[in-house]
Amino acid sequence: MSTLTLTLNGRPCTGDATPRTSLADFLRETELLTGTHVGCEHGVCGACTVVMDGQPVRACITLAHSCSGRDVRSIEGLATDDVMAQLRAAFTAEHALQCGYCTPGMLVTARDIVTRLPDADSERVRLELAGNLCRCTGYGGIVRAIMRVLETRRGVQAAIPPRLPAATFARRKRDEGVIPMTAPMAEGATGGNTPNRMRQVLRIGVPASAVWDAVRDPELVVGCVPGARLLSREGNQLRGEMTASLGPIQASFQGEATVRYATDAMRGALTCQGRDQASGTRLSGQADFTVVPDGNEASRVEIDMHYALRGPLAQLGRGPVVQVFANEIARTVGLNLQARLRNEEAPPPPARLGAGRLLLTIIWRALRRLVSWGHDT
Amino acid sequence: MKPVDFAFDQPATLAQASTMLATEGARAMGGGQSLGPMLNFRVARPARIVALHGLAECQGVEDAGDALTLGASTPHAAIEDGRTPDLPGGILSRIAANIAYRAVRTRGTMGGSLCHADPGADWLCTLGALGALVLTWTPRGGRMVPLSGFVTGAFRTVLQPGEIVQAIRIPRPGADFGWGYVKACRKPGEFAHAMCAVLLDPTHGVRRMVIGATGGPPVVLEGDRADPAAVEGALKGAGLGPVERRMQAVIAGRAMEQAMQAHRGTRA
Repeated sequence: MSTLTLTLNGRPCTGDATPRTSLADFLRETELLTGTHVGCEHGVCGACTVVMDGQPVRACITLAHSCSGRDVRSIEGLATDDVMAQLRAAFTAEHALQCGYCTPGMLVTARDIVTRLPDADSERVRLELAGNLCRCTGYGGIVRAIMRVLETRRGVQAAIPPRLPAATFARRKRDEGVIPMTAPMAEGATGGNTPNRMRQVLRIGVPASAVWDAVRDPELVVGCVPGARLLSREGNQLRGEMTASLGPIQASFQGEATVRYATDAMRGALTCQGRDQASGTRLSGQADFTVVPDGNEASRVEIDMHYALRGPLAQLGRGPVVQVFANEIARTVGLNLQARLRNEEAPPPPARLGAGRLLLTIIWRALRRLVSWGHDT
Repeated sequence: MKPVDFAFDQPATLAQASTMLATEGARAMGGGQSLGPMLNFRVARPARIVALHGLAECQGVEDAGDALTLGASTPHAAIEDGRTPDLPGGILSRIAANIAYRAVRTRGTMGGSLCHADPGADWLCTLGALGALVLTWTPRGGRMVPLSGFVTGAFRTVLQPGEIVQAIRIPRPGADFGWGYVKACRKPGEFAHAMCAVLLDPTHGVRRMVIGATGGPPVVLEGDRADPAAVEGALKGAGLGPVERRMQAVIAGRAMEQAMQAHRGTRA
């Protein structure tokens, strides 16, 4: 908890907030200004929109501490604002609210529209309202109310903040970074991956029989998956965890899997389900795998997967990103498996899969959670 | 949801910020409009957040004739409003105006968007097509990295711990250039399902097409390969299904058409 000072609704305000407190929670729970509503909490619904330094911002994805020294106005602070008075009257006249949940954010956005875009037509108003969701009144009345105020203000100068200052930025040594990827990347044989379905073909320079033996050893296979650990094994029931990071995104899945083998055909199937405790993301899937000889000295592991990702990670990760990430993991698994079977040193894990103390911390936290879990069951 | 707990720093200089960012588990935050949702969803759980909005060294604009250089902290809204210099035809303003929503554009920054490296981000795709360079800062000096080499994958860049993007340098295209940018969204402001930017700049011998909204870094097609007919093939391995690849090809066709028209317009 630390102190922040800002100007709130025209008055100096000093309050305490933890670093993770959003401006919306600070307004509602510390300052008891409950006119700011919290809807989606990820910047899409617009219910929490307030004014900072004269411009609309999302209070749910603005940290309270980043408003230090700034001028913030919530809906309460706009009570005596002339434009807002016009908008309130117009919202009443046009029946632009019903349940009222979206209304504070709607009004703040409406005020931005009429002051910044005095020439806007109703089509433009609708476009600007794309960032404020109303799910009961409908937009007809809201658009008419905003148009009503715009009509009374025609000819008023648009309120645009000042131009950015001039600066100089020294030139520096050019570095090409990574080589741009213009050629198609490697992919499963068909190249026809569809959402939630994936085909992976791992080419391994080891005879098929040796690969098949390895594939039936879950400990060995799990050891080849970056960030994965086998926690327990009873017959064909496995319990494990896997941590992965992708830029700022982290996930630590714990779950169970069942694996079955058909030795004659060198074929098997693995079904699994897991959960990322912190975000509540759930992952379930099935992988059918076949080991196919490729001459005497090499083989292919063909894997057909389908999976379902539900919860926050699915919302943010987006299908194509998950597919490419899974491809990267599979490639690493293939290289690790080959190295193990050839008794070679495993290749260093690609940096992009994430590693380091942060991950260890996450694993440690996850383990501690698992222990307390165990007591419950 | 609410974010997990983290430490929060608001340094005043690049040197301070760099030291803070070099610590384990630290994450830089520009306007926080992409990281904020990830924090609230708890899919990002950094130990420490270093907010860069207070760095005067990342603010302001330089208009040097052959290139525009925008400070990394330049908010999308300032570009949208024409409060910064622009390329001919208001290209940058039009791109900015269609990023998310106004209340997000007032906080979200160009540098933050590039560093976040979301494959669906508008600047990543368009500035890549414009041949922009990222100017980074470290205590030992910085580098200029072309955007085509800046992103290593979805949400990942070549930035080293403690390395900070200070500005973005956008070269001015030649007089008879053509520009096209089209994205496919079902709702204005949402992440695009397909996007393509095309730059035809005969003065500098550039014919470039960049496709975004893939599963990895933007896909760059140069010269003869910058052809809508080549798009579906070029997107193998980008995590897209056949329908999405087809959509990308159609959008690329429209972007190319826009660019050709603009190019013809400047010559007429």
